[in-house]
Amino acid sequence: MTPRLLHVQSRRQLGTFAGLIALCLILWAATPHFLTVSNLLNVLEQTAINAVVAVGMTFVIISGGIDLSVGSILALSGIALGSALQAGVPVPVAIALALAVGLACGLVNGVLVTFGRLPPFIATLGMMSVARGAALMLAEGRPISGFDDGFRMLATGRVLMLPAPAITAGLIYAVAHFVLGHTVFGRAAYAIGGNEEAARLSGVAVRYHKTAIYGVAGLMSAAAAVILTARLNSAQPTAGTMYELDAIAATVIGGTSLLGGEGTIMGALIGALIMGVLRNGLNLLDVSSFFQQVVIGVVIIGAVLVDMSLKRHRR
Amino acid sequence: MSRLANVLVVGLAMLGLAAGCNRGSSTESGAAPKVAFVMKTLNHPFFLDMQRGAEEAAGREGIQLVVQAAEREIDVEKQMQIIENLLQTGIRALIVTPSGSREIASAIAKANRGAVPVIVVDTRVDPKAAADNKLQIASFIGSDNYEGGRLAGEYLAKSTGGKARVAILEGIPGHETGDSRLRGFREALQQHPGMTIVASQPANWERDLGFTVFQNMLQAHADIDALFACSDLMALGAVEAIAAAGRSGGIRVVGFDALDDARKMIEAGRMEASVAQSPRDMGRIAVESAARLLRGQAVAAEQKVPIALVTKSGTAGSH
Repeated sequence: MTPRLLHVQSRRQLGTFAGLIALCLILWAATPHFLTVSNLLNVLEQTAINAVVAVGMTFVIISGGIDLSVGSILALSGIALGSALQAGVPVPVAIALALAVGLACGLVNGVLVTFGRLPPFIATLGMMSVARGAALMLAEGRPISGFDDGFRMLATGRVLMLPAPAITAGLIYAVAHFVLGHTVFGRAAYAIGGNEEAARLSGVAVRYHKTAIYGVAGLMSAAAAVILTARLNSAQPTAGTMYELDAIAATVIGGTSLLGGEGTIMGALIGALIMGVLRNGLNLLDVSSFFQQVVIGVVIIGAVLVDMSLKRHRR
Repeated sequence: MSRLANVLVVGLAMLGLAAGCNRGSSTESGAAPKVAFVMKTLNHPFFLDMQRGAEEAAGREGIQLVVQAAEREIDVEKQMQIIENLLQTGIRALIVTPSGSREIASAIAKANRGAVPVIVVDTRVDPKAAADNKLQIASFIGSDNYEGGRLAGEYLAKSTGGKARVAILEGIPGHETGDSRLRGFREALQQHPGMTIVASQPANWERDLGFTVFQNMLQAHADIDALFACSDLMALGAVEAIAAAGRSGGIRVVGFDALDDARKMIEAGRMEASVAQSPRDMGRIAVESAARLLRGQAVAAEQKVPIALVTKSGTAGSH
């Protein structure tokens, strides 16, 4: 990333962040229940799952792709986790298995996109159906429930008051922020998304990195599955339905361009927080779920409109 | 600074919209205690009837009732979020129709920790999940779904003369409601050796899936005589599939819920019967029970709402 691009991106991130703060201020004025310690912790806990899925989505979208299969991969990894836990497999091994399942699905996406030359939309649309079907088959359509308290600490645990899902998400964001901003892999993602042909000609191992990027998305879905399964004390084959859209929304609200080549991890975090705060606030204000959907849709469109006007400003 | 202003304008506009839709929860100074009713969904006639019954009772009892539901019925995580969020607003009691009979346990545990009494309606909490989480549930209000399934089975056995090839459309697997109806229906049929179940598949409570799944069943078993659908929406889908196959009137369809659309189909002779629940009574009893709890009075741990079978010739009760 050139220093200039970095500068522009951090400025835009500031804009999104200002949006988040404005939203919080408005909610603070509108309801006394919003700005309390317990409610803010509540929002962090609720946002963690979408935020983690959005990390993978950000990598994919920066590289110029899209991943529609994250919700289904989340369900399949969750079922793998639930089945393993119920079979008495030790918790760390079961989690490793779930992460491996997610990673494997993601890598298959990547191989289909790179070596199979399928458009990402098609490859991941297929995986969305395959993984969902596999999850339903493995679970025979039923949820797998009832895990021991040790495993559930991943959702119910608190460290210095912070809910465990928020801590897990925070760690993942710290690592992802570093990887995207300061490693060869991260630079490759930007380069591929900016101009794939130019990246190839300048020696970036495009197919290798792209495959790995989809692997990261699968891995993040699996990580989200671990949190969700612990939170609900249940692994559901229908879990994660439409989560791909929430993750895409968080990513684009956070300023990542669907055209690829630009975007940040912290933007995705702010985007996920905006969605989490909005849902929470609308619940607190007793806004009907129908109208909530309208509001969220308008926010997505509004955020991208603002973002685009910022871009025009730059030129 | 213009971009900052932009963002602020969008944010303000949204909240302006939201506040416009705010049904007055900000007027919390009043003495009316706030009770939350979290439903499975608000886009199904059954739950809308329940909401009506609940709101009528809330008016009489002087309760400020907040009714919310997730966008999609199967979204157990979203239902949990809604409960967590409402618990932040100082509700005095929580009424819930669980989207998942096991998954709801974590949310009820949170209400318990906040000392908010919980009333469960329609779908029972899985007993094991309740025990594992040491849940305190003040009352369960619901139909006897097992009895409803049994009633449907007995009716079909009688109307087919004890001899029929029967198909079943199930709800979402693992749901206590659907499972109980299914169990009741199957056990009723076991008393009649001439009744054979040739196909039994889930159609996830949905009308369009009811259509597709039953269409496929007819491909595999052209000789189906009767259908039991665990909900009317699925039955209504199946009725259209029967019409599309040109077999209207040739297959006896029994549904569950006695929705208005189903009653019309029964009148028109395209459906045989439907098991009627009383969602409006459920909503009413739930809010009345909450009011009793707030006054420090006791409520029964289990309150059964009567069911009845609706046929063309009238309604026959079971309780």
